[in-house]
Amino acid sequence: MAGFSRRAVLMQLGASGLAALTPGAALAQNRYAELDTQPWSFLDGNEARFLASMADVLIPEDDFPSASQAGVVDFIDLQLAGPYGQGAGLFLEGPFGDGTPEQGWQAPHTPASLIRTGIARLESGDTRLVDLDAGEREEFVKRLSEGESFDLGDVPVQTLFDEIWALVKEGYFSDPIYGGNKGYAGWEMVGFPGAHAYYTDHVDKNAPFPAPPRGIAHAPGTRQSANTARPLTARAANATQEEG
Amino acid sequence: MVTELPKTDVVIVGAGWTGLAAAKELADAGQRCVVIERGDWRHDASNFGAPEEHDELKYARRKEHMIDTPIKTLSFRNNSDQTALPMRRLGSFLPGKGLGGAGIHWNGQLWRPLPSDLEMRSHYTERYGEGILDGMNIQDWGMTYDELEPHLDFFDRVCGTSGVAGNLNGETQEGGNPFEGPRSADYPNPPMKASPPLQVFRDTAEQMGYNPFHMPSANVTRAYENAYGAQLHPCTYCGFCERFGCGYFAKADPIICIYDVVKDHENFELRMNSQVLRVEKSSDGKTATGVTYIDEDGREVFQPADTVCLNAYALWNVHLMLVSGLGTPYDPQTGEGTVGRNYAYQTIAAAGVFFDDNVWSNPFMGAGALGMTIDDFNGDNFDHTDLGFVGGGYISANQTNGRPINYQPTPPDTPSWGAEWKQAVRENYLHHVGIVCHGSSVAVPGNYLDLDPTYKDAYGQPLLRMTFDFPENDRKMSAYVLSKAEEIARNMDHVRAVSTVNRAAEGESYSVVPYQTTHNTGGAVIGSDPATSVVNRYGQMWDHHNVFVFGACLFPQNLGYNPTGPLMGLAYWTLDHMKNDYLQNPRPLMDA
Repeated sequence: MAGFSRRAVLMQLGASGLAALTPGAALAQNRYAELDTQPWSFLDGNEARFLASMADVLIPEDDFPSASQAGVVDFIDLQLAGPYGQGAGLFLEGPFGDGTPEQGWQAPHTPASLIRTGIARLESGDTRLVDLDAGEREEFVKRLSEGESFDLGDVPVQTLFDEIWALVKEGYFSDPIYGGNKGYAGWEMVGFPGAHAYYTDHVDKNAPFPAPPRGIAHAPGTRQSANTARPLTARAANATQEEG
Repeated sequence: MVTELPKTDVVIVGAGWTGLAAAKELADAGQRCVVIERGDWRHDASNFGAPEEHDELKYARRKEHMIDTPIKTLSFRNNSDQTALPMRRLGSFLPGKGLGGAGIHWNGQLWRPLPSDLEMRSHYTERYGEGILDGMNIQDWGMTYDELEPHLDFFDRVCGTSGVAGNLNGETQEGGNPFEGPRSADYPNPPMKASPPLQVFRDTAEQMGYNPFHMPSANVTRAYENAYGAQLHPCTYCGFCERFGCGYFAKADPIICIYDVVKDHENFELRMNSQVLRVEKSSDGKTATGVTYIDEDGREVFQPADTVCLNAYALWNVHLMLVSGLGTPYDPQTGEGTVGRNYAYQTIAAAGVFFDDNVWSNPFMGAGALGMTIDDFNGDNFDHTDLGFVGGGYISANQTNGRPINYQPTPPDTPSWGAEWKQAVRENYLHHVGIVCHGSSVAVPGNYLDLDPTYKDAYGQPLLRMTFDFPENDRKMSAYVLSKAEEIARNMDHVRAVSTVNRAAEGESYSVVPYQTTHNTGGAVIGSDPATSVVNRYGQMWDHHNVFVFGACLFPQNLGYNPTGPLMGLAYWTLDHMKNDYLQNPRPLMDA
């Protein structure tokens, strides 16, 4: 991010979101080309690239995979096609009012329609998030996260950001049966052993639990979490064993 | 056309903890009981088994065990100047559906009220003078701790509660809660194990002169046969408790503890997927004649009964009264009327503790009631002189819910997403514990429940409307108790950072979005004065003597404890008076 000016980007980004931005050098690279061949259940290719771009700002690659590398876009696609995306958990009777933040979701949309409509309005011009350079993508997501003055009509900006970020985290950390958390990326990252849970003999031990993760489908993980393999730096904690 | 069914002795609305307890006790007393439940049949053995139940997305995020808001929700506003809007999605609290109700996805934190809690107005007035309760609708419950104790004790034996007694028949016991009321018997089972963060919390609290003890737990610690002869198994600390059913038979729930021992009773009938619309009244309005409901085939059915028991979730009991015209709705302008009055909640704050690598919390190992607690700042266990508030809360290091979608602890000043966030989650996930401040909630005239003028549910009935914000008293209380929790956190060994969150912080309004607790209380409160309570001290409606009301809607104000223990004590107290008095001679049990 060295040399990157937040103010400059903010001045470029008008109330219409991405439309005022000039794509940088990244345009020619066709980032996320692999998404082009995917058979989507709900998303179209453009929506998938937008979500991949945004998800990888939210959870970028480091020693562990980025969100899109861990299958988060596949996860979101299936979720939006399913009961959740179609509004199974939402009371959607009108009339609709703006409400206060304390009153929660008041948008006249299912999650699927909120995200589809929101992306369409954010990308109503020629510029695509996927075509921006890394600094610009990050600045865009930052601005979206702060609920700044995008005009997205009946799609509340904060609700849109919160919903996508929630989906990204769900896709990174939920059981792999839902299409995300590929290769147990999220679980290995934090050291969560998964759905086969029985800890009677370990719960009172002050020690890591170095089991490879295993999900509902019983597929074993390939490696132990780097987190649990970290060496203990000093003496054990002041109380290690519970009496009795 | 409404189908009228043959009359039964007792109709029970809802098959959760109180409904199934009522069915068991009244069926045994010779009453033919029909239980009507809106949701599906399910069982721990067939529906809650691992690993399928250990699905955080399905149960903790998509909330498959909870009420469906498209069918049943409420509207909400912070004060009566605002327009209430529907709670379109679940958030702050999670009412259940189906056999066992919310009792299958509770945590099992099984508390008793303090003796002074049950006589809150008398107690505070006597100790501090009348003025300390100004502006609040604080009331006595109408019965004493000693009267409730046998019933609290019985429920401990239904659940196989684990813990260490702090007061056994008046004798203070080492290792327990020294502030609790006298227990007539010890806990049925020994306490849970203590994870490393809980051990550190206990040591630090002791060093600071407090009185730490194992949170009382309905996550059973050894094989146990309960008071009804049902079998429970020891907890595995699997970490899938709240929001999940327990396939290990280790978390006491209404299905394995009560349903299994009443399901074949000749006096018991359960009707699933049936939505009660209203309680019908006699022509003179003095009694109820039964309930009208939509059955599983979509037909409208009238079930006549001699006695009606309201055992729905606290909020829905109040809704049912309002749409049925039972009692008199509360009017916040005049302060008159009682149905919907004294709605209260729970005041939640927490300190997050970030350890260095010397303390492994392994937060995925846990249980719903795995906690190390101090009660030094709960109720009136500490001197409130000049503090400017009443009430308090317990402070507890809890290890209950370390599943990775909902549990991503990061130290203060960490960005909320991106590379730094990712690194912080990775570094802290296995080395963090939360210390919750589980605070009381006073009743004030401006917090209440009534019917929404605009929005309707799937059955065409007006939504319940909740008007609530944290009272000033509770904001002060929460800040005070949180400061004590933070002090403990900062004194703990191997702590790198401490974060805090206070849902009732000054300047912030109550929000239905972030989960806090499923501890909605009041709206149909118990008491000894018909001007300020919906039911008399036996749980019987003042206005309709054959209607008995159960659950946390009875609480005149909310305690600093989880409600299941107190509300089940009340349930068995009411059932005792029904069985041994009312049913032989149906009449008002108290003079209005």
